[in-house]
Amino acid sequence: MKRVALSIDELRKAVLRLPEGALTAIRAAALANLDEHGLPTVRHEDWKYTNLDAAIDISNRWLSAGATLASKDSLGESIEAIISSVDANWLVIANGQVDMTYFAETRGIEVVRFSESAAPFVMDRPLADLNAALLHDGLRIRIDAATEKPLGLLVIDESNAGAAVSQASVEIVVGPGCDAEIIEHQSSAGKDDHYGNSVVALQVGQAAMVNYVRIQDRHIGHVQTGRLSVSMGKDSRLKMASYDLGGRLVRNDIDIELGEPGSEITFDGLYLVSDGQHIDNHTRVDHRVGPASSSQEYRGILNGRCRAVWNGKAIVHKGADGTDANQANHNLLLSDNAEIDAKPELEIYADDVKCSHGTTVGQLDESALYYLRTRGLDKRQATQLLTHAFAADLIGRAPVAAAVDAIQSLVEARLADLLQEPAS
Amino acid sequence: MTSENLESLVNRRYEHGFVTDIETENLPPGLDEGVVRAISKRKNEPEFMLEWRLQAYRQWLEMQEPEWAHLHYAPVKFNEISYYAAPKSDEDRPKSLDEVDPKLLETYDKLGIPLHERARLAGVAVDAVFDSVSVATTFKDKLSDAGVIFCSFSEAVLEHPELVKKYLGSVVPRRDNFYAALNSAVFSDGSFVYIPKGVRCPMELSTYFRINAANTGQFERTLIIADEGSHVSYLEGCTAPMRDENQLHAAVVELVALEGAQIKYSTVQNWYPGDENGVGGIYNFVTKRGDCRGANSKISWTQVETGSAITWKYPSCLLRGENSVGEFYSVAVANNMQQADTGTKMIHIGANTRSTIVSKGISAGKAQNAYRGLVKVMPQADGARNHTQCDSLLIGKDCGAHTFPYMEIKNPSARIEHEATTSKISADQLFYCRQRGISEEDAVNMIVNGFCKEVFKELPMEFAVEAQALLNVSLEGAVG
Amino acid sequence: MLEINNLKSRIGDTEILRGLSLTINAGEVHAIMGPNGSGKSTLAQVIAGHSDYVVTGGEVNYMGNDLLDLEPEERAREGIFLGFQYPVEIPGVNNAYLLKAAVNAKRKHQGLDEVDAFEFLKCAREKMAALGMDSKFLNRGVNEGFSGGEKKRNEILQMAMLEPRLAILDETDSGLDIDALKAVATGVNNLRAADRAIVLVTHYQRLLDYIEPDFVHVLSEGKIVRSGDKTLALKLEEKGYDWVREAASA
Repeated sequence: MKRVALSIDELRKAVLRLPEGALTAIRAAALANLDEHGLPTVRHEDWKYTNLDAAIDISNRWLSAGATLASKDSLGESIEAIISSVDANWLVIANGQVDMTYFAETRGIEVVRFSESAAPFVMDRPLADLNAALLHDGLRIRIDAATEKPLGLLVIDESNAGAAVSQASVEIVVGPGCDAEIIEHQSSAGKDDHYGNSVVALQVGQAAMVNYVRIQDRHIGHVQTGRLSVSMGKDSRLKMASYDLGGRLVRNDIDIELGEPGSEITFDGLYLVSDGQHIDNHTRVDHRVGPASSSQEYRGILNGRCRAVWNGKAIVHKGADGTDANQANHNLLLSDNAEIDAKPELEIYADDVKCSHGTTVGQLDESALYYLRTRGLDKRQATQLLTHAFAADLIGRAPVAAAVDAIQSLVEARLADLLQEPAS
Repeated sequence: MTSENLESLVNRRYEHGFVTDIETENLPPGLDEGVVRAISKRKNEPEFMLEWRLQAYRQWLEMQEPEWAHLHYAPVKFNEISYYAAPKSDEDRPKSLDEVDPKLLETYDKLGIPLHERARLAGVAVDAVFDSVSVATTFKDKLSDAGVIFCSFSEAVLEHPELVKKYLGSVVPRRDNFYAALNSAVFSDGSFVYIPKGVRCPMELSTYFRINAANTGQFERTLIIADEGSHVSYLEGCTAPMRDENQLHAAVVELVALEGAQIKYSTVQNWYPGDENGVGGIYNFVTKRGDCRGANSKISWTQVETGSAITWKYPSCLLRGENSVGEFYSVAVANNMQQADTGTKMIHIGANTRSTIVSKGISAGKAQNAYRGLVKVMPQADGARNHTQCDSLLIGKDCGAHTFPYMEIKNPSARIEHEATTSKISADQLFYCRQRGISEEDAVNMIVNGFCKEVFKELPMEFAVEAQALLNVSLEGAVG
Repeated sequence: MLEINNLKSRIGDTEILRGLSLTINAGEVHAIMGPNGSGKSTLAQVIAGHSDYVVTGGEVNYMGNDLLDLEPEERAREGIFLGFQYPVEIPGVNNAYLLKAAVNAKRKHQGLDEVDAFEFLKCAREKMAALGMDSKFLNRGVNEGFSGGEKKRNEILQMAMLEPRLAILDETDSGLDIDALKAVATGVNNLRAADRAIVLVTHYQRLLDYIEPDFVHVLSEGKIVRSGDKTLALKLEEKGYDWVREAASA
């Protein structure tokens, strides 16, 4: 297969064309990093199963066509549709541009735009450099008090003029002792190719408690890469659930740092993958001190010619005694052409730890299918019922109550679509 | 005896090594085509074998040393290695057990090694070991009556070239990996086994092997072919500490199981692990693979790995035949500065193929112990099943235990289950045993052996007992 | 046999035993009762030698020697047996193997020959039958996957095999149904002997219906606040632990 490389020269030109301002120095540094390290290839262990050719191809076409951002004006209706389904206070990044019009000033939430005041943020990570180099703007959010409504972050893109690329970058700091609910929703529309690349950095303060929901329902032909970097304060809690429903090529990286004792995290995920899709979830938890616990369960349903990747890594560093780390991954393969690559990894350098992982790949329980058929359901109905049940558990775990209905209907609709495909 | 004593003993043997050469049998260090030709010539090999080696050498030149394993070691200087050393002559060996270091004998005692085998293991000159020779002769008769071919690899090349030609490299191709290519070019010797159709090998080849094992050098090559419906159980290595002057070991083992055949391959590996500062010790880079070529065939790997400074090995099964079965049972112990990256690959190709993986890793001291495994289900492998259980036990604060399982599943009817746990010996367990009057050291041994039980029960009986003792010796001083 | 004098002990920074004194003679059965957190289990663990419990004062004399000087296994070999409240699971370690190792460790300590496998199994099977235990338990991992009742019976089996001088049973009755309780009580009663002392640590009177104690002690806040005969247990059952607390603070 022909390997494509990101055109660094074109990228440099595009970066130089961006308006001078608070982000200029950061863009230059990111570009230099990118120039030196390039984008990851399948030769990198962490990218063994996912090649970025589609993202690079779209980027190159976009760069050579002048690397402009499409106007966000046409997105109004799509934005309205999404934010009206969840009662939250919404910040929007549309076609790579910050849009504050849906956000209501609220006591306890402070929002600053990167273009007004830039400061160091996540870099030195694959694709985070690409994000920083091409950044027009971004959001820095500080939450210092519980608010009535959850905070919504909508990243939405539309591509109707050849290939388009957009970046979203958000930093969220949740103050000490504060409870926060956050919904991150990534979506896209349009007839042409699009590549969206996002970076979210979440800092959870001492004794703070964050409930976080991630919904990704991009257009089935679009490409997304996303990084979420979390650092947990002393005695803090994080509950998170991710739902990956759309996208042609999707790669999520979730990195969580447990650098202070007493933190507790659970993060779960559901991925629904059908014909033509490739969805890759890479998670990494660094247990640097103990006691602390981390627990994750990802579930996937695959139908059609598609591929899913799940790679969960827990690293227990020297001295992180009292660590409790659990990983689980369960997959339902419904068709001949589906492939799952699962890799639960543990790296342990301390001895007072409890770590475990469990992974299964399989089908629906034959005896349950049979039972339902003896109750009068046909095979198709029985299959649908059990597949929904497999997913339902994860829907039930969405930690932000305001988002549950929306997640439910998105997942149900997507599942119905997915099960339409001829299960062979 | 403490582990330090054991180590210093092994170290002393190193000082007595091959530094001053007795004869001019050894080739000068370094590797080129001339060396490959010289090796082949000394073994009087037929043309096809030389040609095979040369191709491997040329392929090796184009390959790179793998770096992906969770291992850190000084680079191997391939041009400073001598690729051919003649076997030790009898004059250079101890004449009887009386000349053997009493501490070594003490270790044999601890390991429960039968008296008649000790002389052989200690390297006593063959003609001095009357008992063993007669035992070996009896075995040989029994095997040839059954039609089993069991001989050194060199002998097989000369006596059974058609079998060697047909099967050599058919499981592990020359260019499979860097070390396999190197081995293919310069392999010294090894074992060859052929079990004819329908024959159940009349004895564990382990017994025979232990008594008859010659020093096969650092690039060992083993080929076992089980013809249709045959059965064989083979044991490689032994629990006694293995001394060797060569730091790099790169063996290749190929197993072929035809329709309905079963091969059980057990390994006890106890090469010198280096001292507690990580000085010395064997680098063990092994490629082992079994090919379940026929329907209803079965290959089972059992390994107890306690030795070597660096271990890189993944005994694997290609499950080609319908209904074929692959098994991997492993205990890997790493103490002091040892590093192990070991596991298995189960490649499901045929329909209704099944595999089982049970891996028990024990880390102590400053050692790093990694399990790396691949379960791959190809699109045509309908009804494939795998169950993997992968447990790590940590002893002490400075060691590491790592798990890197890969599952690549391309068939929707596959059922794959993978479970892994990591734990330490709990203070509660120790106290419970001590309250029953059992010393801390005995309690640790008991708990460790309990942890490994599922694997030990797969070993041939006499070795299971020795392997347990070996584990205790390997972990001496790890607790407390 | 056992003399405890003004014993003080803590776990972590928490002081639990605050000057406990108690004398136990051969042939006696003592019941130690008290509310949760009064120090009952701590007393049992200190006697057995658990390193988490730090002795900060007082002395314990056993058979004329300082007990606190000995390692846990030495105490066990000298005849002290602790029946654990929560018996530990040791996966893969055969129950019979542990039992035989324990019996032989003690015999070796006493200068006796190791018991042979046949003799050992015969003896173990007899004792299991008496306890209503299926002999297949011998081949299972130590407490591995045992129910609560099975674990407790297993403790009594170990006690019966080890024939201790001083047996301390820590909440052996907790979580047992009536059949298991009777079986355990029978096991204990069969071991009553003139040269043996038994200490029952318990929260409830129930066990004492089946094993009649010679003495009952009530523990509160790390001290014995009241001692008496078996009627004390009945009174306690009737009036509750508050009565003791009030009596103690009065």
